[in-house]
This record gives sequence, C-alpha cells and structure tokens, in this order.
Amino acid sequence: MTDINALDALSDPTRRKIFERLRSGPCSVSELVLIAAVSQPAVSQHLNILRAARLVRVRPQAQKRIYSIDPAGVSELRAYVDSFWDQALGLFQQAAEKLAREETEDEQ
Amino acid sequence: MSNNPLIQTGIMPVVKTLQVPIPVKSAFRLFTEHVHNWWPLDTHSVFGDEAVTCQMEGREGGSFFETHRDGRTSIWGTVLAWEPPSRVIFSMHPGRSPDTAGEVQVTFEALGDATLVTLTHTGWERLGDRGQTMRANYNQGWNQVLAKFVDSVASAG
Repeated sequence: MTDINALDALSDPTRRKIFERLRSGPCSVSELVLIAAVSQPAVSQHLNILRAARLVRVRPQAQKRIYSIDPAGVSELRAYVDSFWDQALGLFQQAAEKLAREETEDEQ
Repeated sequence: MSNNPLIQTGIMPVVKTLQVPIPVKSAFRLFTEHVHNWWPLDTHSVFGDEAVTCQMEGREGGSFFETHRDGRTSIWGTVLAWEPPSRVIFSMHPGRSPDTAGEVQVTFEALGDATLVTLTHTGWERLGDRGQTMRANYNQGWNQVLAKFVDSVASAG
C-alpha cells in the first residue's frame, strides 16, 4: 500500500474513533467493530489505512490479530505540531522584543 | 518505564517554553488581544495569503478566528478559560470540525521584569486534515522553514 499522510488518515471520523480506542490499549478487530459501529470489512479497510499511515500496527496472538498504536506515525504528527508552535512562538518572541525596545525608547 | 499507555505510545502534550523581555501583563496582551501583530497568517491560517487578520475574543466562550479579505471568517477555536494576565486556554481546530479540536493552554509567569511563557498543546492527535494549510505546511518541508528561522534568530542575537 502507498504511503498515507497521518493527517489525512485521521480526517475520517470512524478512523478517529478506532484510533482513540487504541490509545487506551491494544484490542482485536471484533472489539473495534463494536466501537466503530460499522461492518467488520469496513473496520478492516479503515485499519489498513491507519496502518499505511503508520498510526496502527498489528501482531498475531493465538487465532486473533491484535491492533495497537504505532508510535512511528504518532511521532510524525507530534513533530508537525511541535514545529507549528516553534514558528508561531518565534514570531511572538520577536514581537515581544520589538515591544520591549519601543518601551525603552519611550523612556529615554 | 511508565505504565501509562499515553506515555508509552508517545502521545504526550507538546510543551513549549520561552522567555520574553516584557512584563506579564504586556505578554498576555500581546499573545491574546494583539495576536494579529505577530501570528504568521501566511503559513498558519486556513485562507493562507488571502487571510488579512486574526483575533481572539477576550472572554470565556469567545472565538479565536481569522478573517478573509472578503470578510468571511474561519473559526480556529474557542476560549475555554480566560484568566488575564496569568492564563488562557483555548480549543484549536483550524480548518477542521470542532470534534477534532485539541486544547492549548498558555501560562504567563513573572521572572523579574520578564515573563516565562509556557504553551501546552494536548489532544493534538485528534487532528485530522481538512484544512489546506496543514497539508500545505506538511508538504512544503516545514523543517527547512524552521531551520531558517532558527538561523535568523541566532544571527540576529
């Protein structure tokens, strides 16, 4: 499967629901079907997309396949949010420094 | 290792701290009332270069939004706690539906005449992309932009 952006993968409400459930711990498809309230093939399709975005991973356990959060895609999202604020706050800092200079000039 | 699944899976708040050379009151006002004076609308908005300003309404329940040059607005989030000059909390879902919102808390603490600003963004893993901005940013090599910015601050300092 081709690479899918983590942001795109989470744009779907059902996939968000599945992802949020997995945040509280690993579980099987049958449990995810109950939570997502869609058919098992539909859940499997959503899981494939989440896996392609590296947000979810799977491991076999006895006869079951157990799904859990994949830290790879999660850290990609985190890096995005991180840099979002780095840039915005960098400009906030510059504006504050400019304000400080203006106030010093006013005092002189 | 912690048993907390959120920590194990790396779903932790994004925390940023910075020190600004202005008093707490001024820092709070600059961050909120005067957000339009510093927010990078070109890159951090839904309308991109067609956005003309942004505003945070200073009250609990107030909107944080940007305005298009034709007058349309796009709501980024809602003020959840308004405690000038020490704290503001707002939801954040630019270009997306409110059910994907994360929460951003910004605190302002006096450090002599300066202010320590701490920003904590939680629930960011709920962000699903419908906003063109996020996608554009994501694809444009955000890190390169950031690296340039860091360089410029370093050389200016």
